[in-house]
Amino acid sequence: MPELFSHPFFTLLPTAFFTLAIFSFLYRDNPFFKFAEHVFAGLSAGYYCGLIFQSVINQQVWIPLTQDERWLVLVPAALGVLMFARFVPKIGWMMRLPLAFVIGSTAGIMFIQQLHGMVLPQVGRTILPLDSVENVLLVIGVLSTLIYFYFSKPHTGPLGWVASVGIAFVMVAFGAHFGYTVMARVSLLIGRIQFLLIDWLHLAS
Amino acid sequence: MKSRLPVIVAFLAGVLMIVAFFGRGAVVDRVAEEALAWQTIVAGFALLLGVGSIVRVHWHRLATGHPDRIYSLVLLICLTVMGGSGVLFGIGSGTLFDSLFERIQAPMMSTMFSVLAFFIASAAYRAFRARNVLSAILLLTAVIVMLGRIPMGQYIYHALPDWANWIMMVPSVAVQRGIIIGAALGAASMALRVILGIERTYLGQGG
Amino acid sequence: MDRIQSVDRRVLYTLIFISVIIPVMWPLHLPTPETPEARAFFDAVEAIPPGSVVLFPFDFWPSTLPETEPMAVAGLRHCFRRDLKVVGLSNVGIGGPSVADRLLDSIGAEYGKVYGVDYVNLGYKAGYQAVLLGMANSIAAIFPTDHRGTRLDSLPLMQRALNYDSLSFVLIVSDNAMADYWVALVNARYGLPMVAGVTAVMAPKMLSYIHTGQIKGLLGGMKGAAEYEALLGESDMASRGMDAQSLIHLLIIGFIILGNIGYVASRRRPSPARAG
Repeated sequence: MPELFSHPFFTLLPTAFFTLAIFSFLYRDNPFFKFAEHVFAGLSAGYYCGLIFQSVINQQVWIPLTQDERWLVLVPAALGVLMFARFVPKIGWMMRLPLAFVIGSTAGIMFIQQLHGMVLPQVGRTILPLDSVENVLLVIGVLSTLIYFYFSKPHTGPLGWVASVGIAFVMVAFGAHFGYTVMARVSLLIGRIQFLLIDWLHLAS
Repeated sequence: MKSRLPVIVAFLAGVLMIVAFFGRGAVVDRVAEEALAWQTIVAGFALLLGVGSIVRVHWHRLATGHPDRIYSLVLLICLTVMGGSGVLFGIGSGTLFDSLFERIQAPMMSTMFSVLAFFIASAAYRAFRARNVLSAILLLTAVIVMLGRIPMGQYIYHALPDWANWIMMVPSVAVQRGIIIGAALGAASMALRVILGIERTYLGQGG
Repeated sequence: MDRIQSVDRRVLYTLIFISVIIPVMWPLHLPTPETPEARAFFDAVEAIPPGSVVLFPFDFWPSTLPETEPMAVAGLRHCFRRDLKVVGLSNVGIGGPSVADRLLDSIGAEYGKVYGVDYVNLGYKAGYQAVLLGMANSIAAIFPTDHRGTRLDSLPLMQRALNYDSLSFVLIVSDNAMADYWVALVNARYGLPMVAGVTAVMAPKMLSYIHTGQIKGLLGGMKGAAEYEALLGESDMASRGMDAQSLIHLLIIGFIILGNIGYVASRRRPSPARAG
């Protein structure tokens, strides 16, 4: 009897139950879906608790502090604790300090990242010899797309003609993007059906 | 003070990151390295803020007799079990934390997103109409790419995979590049506004 | 003709379910045509000298596992087959380090690889760009220990893999903006060569990075994973899913055509005002 319960049908039963509970939403909202939804939200929030405790508090603060005597880690730890000042109205403003530190440094990184890592290489690779149909189309496509998305001037006259070319290119790209989006969403469904039919019910190999 | 000090902190932090990119001095590099490590620690604590908010909301539901309070109880129990097991027994392979993730949380997350396949199919049926030349171009391109990217496509017409490749590598790259350049310039200007203190929405009310 | 445009959504959903179930139960085993970017991905990893250290970010959420897990599995198999040393990490909080642990251990065991010597899982740290930039000078400054809490200086592999200068390559598997950060921060600043496996939604944008040479190869979605499996001489999760992908794509195209037939027919029908 105990061997029966080690069969994948039973060991994967909780997984299959929650999978089917989520799918039940396709028919309509129901208590099984609501139950699964709240279990998911609770587990996700709990995941962050366990993860941050181990990855940050234990590995980045406690271990360097106790094993390497790196007292400086107490500064970011204090800043991190200061984030929770938000829940105390009298000192709530103090959470702005660690927030400003994170957002300010992220902004500094982003400034360089976007210009050096995105704009320069992309612009550089658009400066192409116009010796093939592909290169001509690439250059026209990039320029007309940039002009189409430039909304500070009305799209009239020569600007309007170029913007019209731009929107044609944009329609082609969005059509291609739609095709890939369908592919992506469908893949996720295939994965779940494969789990139900192959891993759980063993109806296929 | 309550608004000015955070703006000064944001400015100094942002300028440090920019100077570190250009500067090659040992002091600048060392300070930037330390700041980056600090940022990862502070960002980790920030993630727990969301957990605190969830607990507050659902505890309030329990306390005030909300009609869905039984679900709030389920949520809080799951949070406690998952969080507690991670804190007390670790998060590596073979732990309760890992088992709950692999057997329940991850499959549910996959299933939630897999439901989008139905919605996109339904949307394609109801809304995807060739009303004019431009929408017809969009429709035609989508069909070529969808057929060109599946194994059956080459049996429907031998050139479909090549057409799909060409569409992806020429007109699609051109437009994506235009969007990347535009978005990157916008993001860089927003970052500059934050550093210079012009953009202060992150400070919340009174900022 | 009105009924063509107003089919109940539950009928559509049922047809979709059937079109996935049939090929899963009775696979067709159709070959997946190869794309140049997938071939470039394979060739780039194939060209890495044996014994080199590869950084392997598992930057994907559990929601996209059907697309990203096959890529990660095939990528690990390729690395271990070529005797490359793998340093895994994750910038995605939920699930990244757990999935990395499971895949590294299971695939590593297939090839007799030893934790700490042939592969390491650094785990997760918050901060996205700060993590990527912080590792440039010292990985240990950001990851004092691995995912299991073991100090890095006690792991033989991490005594070699100190910073980006000690790494040869980055094999990214991602379903979010982390792929852009790796390219724009790590490749742009430090010149570390990289390839990326991303979800199909992200693939059109990532092709721009192929064009600029910022990434050497790209896998897009389950199809990309199936191509990679075929190049490795395998037929695994992704390859099995492509038959269902074919059928559903044809079904959705059928839906679009049906909807447009109904639309054209409704436009041709005279309106009551005109008829009267």
